[in-house]
Amino acid sequence: MQSPVKIWRNQKNVAKLVGKTGTILSWTVVRVPPGDFTDQAPYPVVLVDVGEGKRVTCQLVDYDERHVAVGQKVVTIIRRVTHPDPDGVIPYGIKAKPIV
Amino acid sequence: MKVYVSGAATTKFGELWGVSPRHLARQAVFGALKDADTSESRVEALFVGNMLSGMLGGQEHLGAFFAEELGFTVPAFKVEGACASGGLALHNAVNSLLSGQYETVAVLGIEKMTDHKPEDVATALMGAGSEEERGAGATFPGLYAILARVHMKEFGTTEQELAAVAVKNHYHATLNPNAQFRNLLTVEQVMRSSRIADPLKLLDCSPISDGASAVILSTKKKKGSIEVAASAVATDTLGLAQRKSLTEITATRVASQKAYGIAGVAAGDIDVAEVHDCFTIAEVLAMEDLTFFEKGEAAGAIVRGETTVGKKGKIVVNTSGGLKGCGHPVGATGIKQVVELVDQLRGVGGERQVPHAKIGLAHNVGGSGATAVIHILKG
Repeated sequence: MQSPVKIWRNQKNVAKLVGKTGTILSWTVVRVPPGDFTDQAPYPVVLVDVGEGKRVTCQLVDYDERHVAVGQKVVTIIRRVTHPDPDGVIPYGIKAKPIV
Repeated sequence: MKVYVSGAATTKFGELWGVSPRHLARQAVFGALKDADTSESRVEALFVGNMLSGMLGGQEHLGAFFAEELGFTVPAFKVEGACASGGLALHNAVNSLLSGQYETVAVLGIEKMTDHKPEDVATALMGAGSEEERGAGATFPGLYAILARVHMKEFGTTEQELAAVAVKNHYHATLNPNAQFRNLLTVEQVMRSSRIADPLKLLDCSPISDGASAVILSTKKKKGSIEVAASAVATDTLGLAQRKSLTEITATRVASQKAYGIAGVAAGDIDVAEVHDCFTIAEVLAMEDLTFFEKGEAAGAIVRGETTVGKKGKIVVNTSGGLKGCGHPVGATGIKQVVELVDQLRGVGGERQVPHAKIGLAHNVGGSGATAVIHILKG
């Protein structure tokens, strides 16, 4: 369950991950999504190596089909994750877009 | 001290819309007591393996809930470890006997999932993942799809080979009256089924199911008792991104090596195994991580029928139909695996009996591999 407190607390973690460049290690396209994501499906979810032994799982956005591939270079950006919670706070999180 | 399974029973698995969790629990537990020829007054504690009663049913305090329904005024516990909740409950029950605290306990694995729509179940199941994975809109088919793609790239595993897992497990399920799906599949049908999370398709995925299974454990051996020769657990990171390796489920490897050591057996001694095939790729990974096959060699062996009943391979896998064919009520699965092995080791497996089965292994996984539970049984 979302809450304004959790969304606020998570912003520090989100900020640390913005602007990292990396490479897609593996990917899928989610066609049967969780309830909060039904209006976004289908969407690619990618596992990205962002260097220094760190990896991140996130959605790929602003892509062409050819970018959904192992080895594609990407950069992490901040985006809205899903709908605002019942109190109206918008949850933001990390997504990746291809470097073209 | 040794611990024995003295009784075992399972309900049918499937879309059981007309049946409540209370009814399922009674059927499984009283079935296991009858099988053990044990009076309910001998039960000193109840362990319940369940994942989603809070998120889907709004009911927590599940130990007391089922103790009330069963009429047991004994210590009662819910044990949760995502899809490994059943195996984890059994591990805790075994430990309670080994500690000398109890002599006879009941273990119930149960889940009621089909009362809710798939999107809500997918959201609830993602409770087993990491916060990062939930924020990515990932699903469990999606996470295993990511593992599948790595395996395909590393070892040349194909989608057709993955499909062979579902074909085998559906065949086994046709021989199991309690299985959810009792229809044969072809590789072509799996390949043509709708895409869920590429490269995984609908028929690569275990279903959403209802069901309950139960065992009675005792420190006293009697006729029909099956020894629990090892019970071992390993834990890894919740999220896939934080794992050291993406080509194996490390927790499976660690827990199984521990279990082989405790039981004093080698992987090659196992005659029959129930492994956690939540997705077809998961059975391939399990075959390798349990060290039944070398890395990259399991898929071919499954295609050749080396793990199918009646084919005289060195090990037969998922005679119940596995999660794919028998169904996957998540908290029940780890106990159902043991119920199936008890039948096999007693030699009462009927059409799906593995001849001369003496040693069985159950492999139950939580999440995308954060929890792995291994039980080794000796007949």
